[in-house]
Amino acid sequence: MKTPLSFCTGLALGTLALSAAAESADLRVYTYDSFVSEWGPGPQIESAFEAQCDCDLEFIAVEDGVSILNRLRIEREGNKADVILGIDDALIEETRATSLIAPHALDLSGLKAELNWHDSDFVPFDYGYFAFIYDSTRVGQPVDSLRALIESDASVIYQDPRTSTPGQGLMLWVKSVYGDDAAAAWTRLASHTVTVTKGWWEAYSLFLEGDADYVLSYSTSPAYHQVAEGKNQYRAAAFSEGHVAQIEVGAITRNAQDPELARRFLQFLISAEAQAIIPVTNWMLPVVDDVELPDAFDSLIRPERIGFTPQQVEQSRRDWLREWRSAASR
Amino acid sequence: MLEIDRLDVMRDGMPLHYHFDVDAGEILAIQGRSGVGKTTLLDTIAGFEQARNGDIRWQGRSLLKLPAERRPVSMLFQDHNLFEHLAIDANLRLGFGDGVPEGALLDACTRLGVDALLQRKPGELSGGQRQRIALIRTLLRPEPIVLLDEPFAELDPESRETAARWTREVARAGKKTLLLVTHQDEDVRLVADRALNLTWHGD
Amino acid sequence: MPLKMRRAAASLGGSLRGICGARAGLAGATVLALCLLLTALSFYGLIGFGRGGLDTRLLADPYFHSLLQFSFKQAGLSALLSLLLAWPVARALYYHPGLALQRSFLRLCLLGFCMPTLVLITGLVALLGRNGLLTPLLGENWNLYGLGGILIAHVYLNLPFAVRALLLALQHIPDSSWRLAAQLKLGPWQRLRLIEWPALQISLLPLFGFIFVLCFNSFAVVLALGGGPRATTIEVAIYQALKYDFNIPEALTLAWIQLLIAGSLFLLLARLGSAHWLGVDSARRTRAPRPAAPARTLHLLVYATAWLSLTLPILALLPGLLDADLQRFDWPAILRPALITLILGLGAGFGALGAAYLMLLPVRRARIQHQTKRALALEWLSTHTLVAPALVLSVGLYILLLPRLDLDRYGILLVLLLNTAVVIPFAVQQLRPRLLQFDRHYDRLGRSLKLGVRARLAVEWRFARGACLASLGLVMLLAMGDVAIFSIFGSADWTTLPWLIYGYAGTYRLEEASVASLLLLGLCALVLLIFERERPDA
Repeated sequence: MKTPLSFCTGLALGTLALSAAAESADLRVYTYDSFVSEWGPGPQIESAFEAQCDCDLEFIAVEDGVSILNRLRIEREGNKADVILGIDDALIEETRATSLIAPHALDLSGLKAELNWHDSDFVPFDYGYFAFIYDSTRVGQPVDSLRALIESDASVIYQDPRTSTPGQGLMLWVKSVYGDDAAAAWTRLASHTVTVTKGWWEAYSLFLEGDADYVLSYSTSPAYHQVAEGKNQYRAAAFSEGHVAQIEVGAITRNAQDPELARRFLQFLISAEAQAIIPVTNWMLPVVDDVELPDAFDSLIRPERIGFTPQQVEQSRRDWLREWRSAASR
Repeated sequence: MLEIDRLDVMRDGMPLHYHFDVDAGEILAIQGRSGVGKTTLLDTIAGFEQARNGDIRWQGRSLLKLPAERRPVSMLFQDHNLFEHLAIDANLRLGFGDGVPEGALLDACTRLGVDALLQRKPGELSGGQRQRIALIRTLLRPEPIVLLDEPFAELDPESRETAARWTREVARAGKKTLLLVTHQDEDVRLVADRALNLTWHGD
Repeated sequence: MPLKMRRAAASLGGSLRGICGARAGLAGATVLALCLLLTALSFYGLIGFGRGGLDTRLLADPYFHSLLQFSFKQAGLSALLSLLLAWPVARALYYHPGLALQRSFLRLCLLGFCMPTLVLITGLVALLGRNGLLTPLLGENWNLYGLGGILIAHVYLNLPFAVRALLLALQHIPDSSWRLAAQLKLGPWQRLRLIEWPALQISLLPLFGFIFVLCFNSFAVVLALGGGPRATTIEVAIYQALKYDFNIPEALTLAWIQLLIAGSLFLLLARLGSAHWLGVDSARRTRAPRPAAPARTLHLLVYATAWLSLTLPILALLPGLLDADLQRFDWPAILRPALITLILGLGAGFGALGAAYLMLLPVRRARIQHQTKRALALEWLSTHTLVAPALVLSVGLYILLLPRLDLDRYGILLVLLLNTAVVIPFAVQQLRPRLLQFDRHYDRLGRSLKLGVRARLAVEWRFARGACLASLGLVMLLAMGDVAIFSIFGSADWTTLPWLIYGYAGTYRLEEASVASLLLLGLCALVLLIFERERPDA
């Protein structure tokens, strides 16, 4: 068995040689995969920031937002990040609890008022409202509230709150609308749920295949279809109870090699230049006003924001998950 | 000299006992009823069965400590003598190390009437043809001790006589010490110098 | 050993030890130990991080009970259905060896068994989802998600495997049985009961057990088609415990339970005897009677239905191609991942094959020496990654290695290593029957002929070449479809084709995803064409 052995060795050596070429960068950013993908914001953000900082920026991507936190938990002080990018507001308290985050010391007064943001460690760089998307060529009369949706018999696809952020968002949404009656609402919803998927794209692609009337996604999803595909039929249903928001944030780590550079990067992220890139690549809303955006963004719904503070989420999340788990499996 | 010295072997819970000598170059036929332990004896000499007591010596040196691969023994089994997935000529060339005696092999095949079969697979041969091929290889190998377990069982009377005479000739010429298990008195007469009748321990 | 001594030893006996000798056995034991170490380290990683705690409260949670119950139910039903449906197909193939496209069908079966699950799921949704091509035929209340969908996908993946195994069992009926049956003028029912059933019986239970274990540990299918917390297996629950909550005590508790249940089942089935897994030597002459006209029509119908069922989910992907603009398609973006996938597959394939061969050496040694218990234990150990939760393996190692090794740089090596480890059991099961068969027939002959290691390897290679190549193809395919391990250790620099498909789909690019899916499937078919040939050996 000489051949396979030498083959493997060859492969291993080849890999080492290739990867040794990558030099250590000046600023290293932990983020999630789709952020750095070819069509995500990563490439444009990187070149725009490098042009003004005269430095080398490197994205290190993990699967998704929560994986960034998990990675920090495992690596502890040994982490390689100067900045983390892509945790959402629901995970802020748990991330802070790792004691690996340093205050950003930035002036955030330029942020949109509706965000109402005063956190000293985390800087928001985009946000979106969770919303149910429907195809207006198939659903003529969309529901106008969460209660109406849950009481209806329309087919619904949503994501598992244990494995995805939109799923978690729906959990908060139901909890803030129904309070102590949430369990009954979950059971009612389960009766007309097509499937509960692991992640966002599984749900969304099933919806696009025509597998459901409504899918849980973001209020910004219709903008994608208009801008990238020129399709107008996908709409977000505006709910009268208000919508739960997801705010994606970045932060500086305590062991950043160059905290000043890290600060400049976060500052750059909320600049007009970066804020114009993010909405059309990450398909979320800008966190500052007066950003020039495609017209499609004007026609998006503008919901009222409801929900819980990160502290409340941290305290009750496990109980709410258990509640969902047993109610939805009934 | 091959000495089988108070050899005890256990087979299927039955104790078997052997004690006899064979001179170097002698051809010994081993007879006896079914189940008396003829094959077990050959297997023990070749190294495929463990002895409990006693010794097997060749030219004064004990063989028991040696694994089958190191014993000066060439053996013909009752079956499974040929690799079914290899052609006959490839099968014939096995077991000679680097010195394959091409000429001798070919002569033997012609003599025993199997020279036309060299390119075939064992599965395409009759039982008698396979037996002759295996016999040729076993006898022509360089080892001084040759063990044959019913080598002519599947041959017709005519080829049986040819094979038997050829066996004796080659064994003599090669100064082989040959042990031959057989049920036929005819084989004893044609091949062997003497016959040994195995009996139960107490008989 | 110094060269001089080696020469002396070689000239003394004409050979060193046999291939299953002590030294070779040691090499095998070392590889086995390394593989076990890998598993042990991964558990150690999780235990160390979770401070060893287990969540025993979980055992009293009704949710856990329903989860366990569902795991058993879906695995039992999947295995049962796969066998029941495979049986008539295997019979049709057996009684009509000259059927058109039979070889292609057997290859398709292998492709079905190794079909990357995300491709299969896309195909099934296109076929049976709410807007599926076949859905109008299924009535108002049809829903792919839930037990129904899981069963369909599991049967699709495992029925082809069962067909091959049952066909092989039938082909082992000796010609003499059929001659005797004809002579005794046995009727169809008697032939079924007296000839076919005994031949199938020995493989049925191990086959059931094997499929049961595969489905019991099923992950991707259940995650995608389960449809919610109602339909969850232990493996999926481990994922959910780790993903958001990073709840290691719960994950560990679940992992031990899975190891216990699947492991003991697997041990039990190893004791019951071994089926000739994926059809090690399927070329056999057979004198089975040719059935009369009505039965023949029925067999042909079964055969045609099987063809249709296996190809439909693949054909359902084609309409997606029509939507895609192939002219504008970014081919270079897809070629590099395709190449990486192929190289990873080759690496894992050769690695697993080599490891499996070495691991089998001590097993064969034990079998030759009639140490059945020892052989069983060794076999179980060499296939243990089949029952160990794959997620624990990768997440545990990730936790252990992340602080110690630059995984962003060397992660791809871990992808290769872990994929190798995970497919080793399949290579072991493919090679084992063939090599044991070799030993049974030829071990004594080889030793008596005093074949050296090289000569013996050459003879053995010619005997087992077909099995080796076929298992290489099989494990390559399994490794090529991986996303679970890549999702943890992979990096964007080394994107594989399956990961790219996720990437496309994750960014609304469904057309590119279906092109990439078909390309992946095409690559798999190509690998099969190259490695899975009809084998005339033995």
